[in-house]
Amino acid sequence: MVVMIVLATLVVFLISHLVPADPILAQLGDMQAANPAMVAAYRARWGLDLPVWQQYLIFLEGLVHGNFGVSISTQRPVLDDILQYAPATIELSTIAFLLSVIVGVPLGVIAAVRRDSWIDHVARLLSLIGVSAPTFWLAFVVLALFYGGLQIAPGPGRLDVVHLPPPFVTGLYLVDSALAGQWDVFRNAAAHLILPSTVLAATTLGLITRTTRAAMLEALGQDYVRVGRAKGLKERTIIIRHALPNALIPVVTLGGLAYAVLLSGTVLTETIFSWPGLGRYTFRSAVSLDFPAIMGITFLVAVVYLVINLIVDLSYALLDPRVVRQ
Amino acid sequence: MPGLRTIAREKSGRSALRMLVGGLVVAAFAAMAPAQAQDKQVLVLGVDISDARNFDPARMADYSSPITNGAVYDSLVTQKPGAYEDVVPSLATGWERLDDGQRIRFTLRDDVKFWDGSPLTAEDVKFSLDRLLNVKDQPAVYAQNLEKTEVVDEHTVDLYIKNPAEPIMINLAAPAFAIYSRAMTEAQGGVSTPGAEQEDKATQWLNQNSAGTGPYHMVQWERNAQIMLQKNPHYWGGEVPFERVVIRHIGDSAAQLLALENGDIDAAFNLTTEQLATLEDSADIDIARGLSLDYVYMTLTSSPELNEALGKTENRLAVAHAIDYDGIIEHLMGGNAVRPVNFLPIGVGGSTEELLERIGYREDLDKSRELLAAAGNPDGFSFQLSYANAAIVGTSYQLLAQKIQSDLARVGITVELNPMDQVQLRTQYTGGETQSVITFWNPPSPEPQLWASASIERVAKRVRWEVPQEVKDVVAAAGAEPEPAKRAELYTEYTEMLQAQGNYILLFQPIYRIATSQAIEDFNLTAAGWQVQMGDIKPSQ
Repeated sequence: MVVMIVLATLVVFLISHLVPADPILAQLGDMQAANPAMVAAYRARWGLDLPVWQQYLIFLEGLVHGNFGVSISTQRPVLDDILQYAPATIELSTIAFLLSVIVGVPLGVIAAVRRDSWIDHVARLLSLIGVSAPTFWLAFVVLALFYGGLQIAPGPGRLDVVHLPPPFVTGLYLVDSALAGQWDVFRNAAAHLILPSTVLAATTLGLITRTTRAAMLEALGQDYVRVGRAKGLKERTIIIRHALPNALIPVVTLGGLAYAVLLSGTVLTETIFSWPGLGRYTFRSAVSLDFPAIMGITFLVAVVYLVINLIVDLSYALLDPRVVRQ
Repeated sequence: MPGLRTIAREKSGRSALRMLVGGLVVAAFAAMAPAQAQDKQVLVLGVDISDARNFDPARMADYSSPITNGAVYDSLVTQKPGAYEDVVPSLATGWERLDDGQRIRFTLRDDVKFWDGSPLTAEDVKFSLDRLLNVKDQPAVYAQNLEKTEVVDEHTVDLYIKNPAEPIMINLAAPAFAIYSRAMTEAQGGVSTPGAEQEDKATQWLNQNSAGTGPYHMVQWERNAQIMLQKNPHYWGGEVPFERVVIRHIGDSAAQLLALENGDIDAAFNLTTEQLATLEDSADIDIARGLSLDYVYMTLTSSPELNEALGKTENRLAVAHAIDYDGIIEHLMGGNAVRPVNFLPIGVGGSTEELLERIGYREDLDKSRELLAAAGNPDGFSFQLSYANAAIVGTSYQLLAQKIQSDLARVGITVELNPMDQVQLRTQYTGGETQSVITFWNPPSPEPQLWASASIERVAKRVRWEVPQEVKDVVAAAGAEPEPAKRAELYTEYTEMLQAQGNYILLFQPIYRIATSQAIEDFNLTAAGWQVQMGDIKPSQ
């Protein structure tokens, strides 16, 4: 696992240093960039005057001590930046993930059981739209419709202007406002989550529905289902107790990956909904070649993928005891 | 039985989830009433503030941050919207030059208090300017001509100037020269003495608070979310119209427009040309306009090594005479732009539209062909045009480059489009490796010398122009000339020299437009550096 993380950071480090552009020029004004003393001071401040291999070693050394370095563009510790922006993204993608699982799995099951019925067609159409509609388009359409046209949803941002953020505990507004007993803030934060999380959920919802449906169809065609039917078991029992657990394995794999994708792929949704999260931060760090921030995010994303994969592997054991026996 | 336990677990998990989602939906409906920007104690501005890094006056170097700093700080002098050739009193009531201009003595107002109620004195002025010099971050570059400061008495302060021939007064109006409270800043670790570079610790506090005398003071900055300002109860300029100002981050222009139409914000700062066009006839939304001092320009290299044809002056001038300037302003900018003659934007250093009529490049294809023939390239030539994958004042560089490509094709000049990442472009351009670029100029202060010296020094290097001494002499003479009419004459002479050289082609200088709701009035834009006169804005009567 450690090897994987070091490899991931090394690859990103090399790629970002291969770009033929000077990160200092993303930070300094025109007059300042022509001032050799200022350029030298900025380079020295971020160790950019050192050879690349030495910069990487310094990064690794910092990492071991839990120090990600200081961002060139925000000029404060990368860890502070990540801790500030991560909760907004975690809150958004967790709600989106729950939405896609809660809707996607039952929808897939029903679509498979009632194959070729109207509900199957509707589910397939919805998942097709979810998978193929571009996020930025969908985000704007729902915003224009529910916020602009119907005016039943709040606009961009995490809270309305009239509300102040709840006292910081986790950074998740739903949790923090509930802990503080600020129910008006809780309601407002929840309302602000609905549109962006729906948009974010659309893609994964489509994938989960389609995968569940396909896996269920396969499971329903197996011998043990025929045996169950021959034994006279109720159809409900066959579906829920026998077919579904077997169908869930590919869904769990996909779900885990989907959550990781949600956590790391929110940039478009965050931009349109002015969501102060990691996606936006990552994007800005990348375009301004903010090496410390890029490396910090890379490390974080690598860890998220590894942890989620670990959880997925462990959950196989719960779903399928044969995995444990092997 | 495989999976029994799992199913049971899944069932209970599912019902918990169902409750959570149900709760969210109920909550959403309960919170349906949109935010109340209508409560006119609060002014809400929708701005893309994702570029903001610092609000510390000694470190600030961003595009959107001066909107805030212009509202929370004052400087010794200031500039009125539209009048950028001169300064007017602000914290200083008057000033006189002593010792042949080596020293400027400022007399301060005696009725100014900081927002915490403490009085402004000469010590605060000395502290602020010393800290600017000694923190040595980006804004210090604008203070290169300032040697030191000295307190004369409680309301008098002297500024020592290194080179009296170089102008300084207009720079003093810039946000970098904001005056703040010594006591408040020192209490937060502020240091103004040499070594402040390492020792000063006040930036973190100054990013969340302010220590100035402006109509408002800062109480919070939530990165990429919002900036909150509170009324200054001790403001020296009279009653402040709003209790609070919220500068709300809305990064997407379409979302900004929706928020304005819904009444959630009072002003939308970053709308595109097309979005503004749809608002032109709106009865509920006004559009505030102000000529900026920013512009978009194109460069052509002088170096025959980079492009043999562009190395000849006639060929560069042929390019300049084949561009449909009016078409760019009319169709890409919706008519909301003007065009300066050369490196000085309209509004400073005697640059006017009348001057453009007289000595500006104009679209003249016959002349362009004659110039090509004179250069020995009657069938035209080709060159590479580099630009960033980005948008500027509501239009994209890509569109602009394509327009120029098709314009130049009319005289046989082939333009190879070379879009690239912004930082990469800057690296190549400042390294002098580009044949031609389209890019943007945004001044730190309306001092004409800043543009003029750039055009013959660092920018000249980028286009590989060996600047003759006579051009340098004219620019230096203009900088030292205190009499505005004579100064304008000298700058015109300099501009004619640039025109003959043909390295810089000015495309347009946008008129900035900000859409505002009718709940507010006196929304006055300025090009002096802080975008809007925040203290002027009032609720509509």
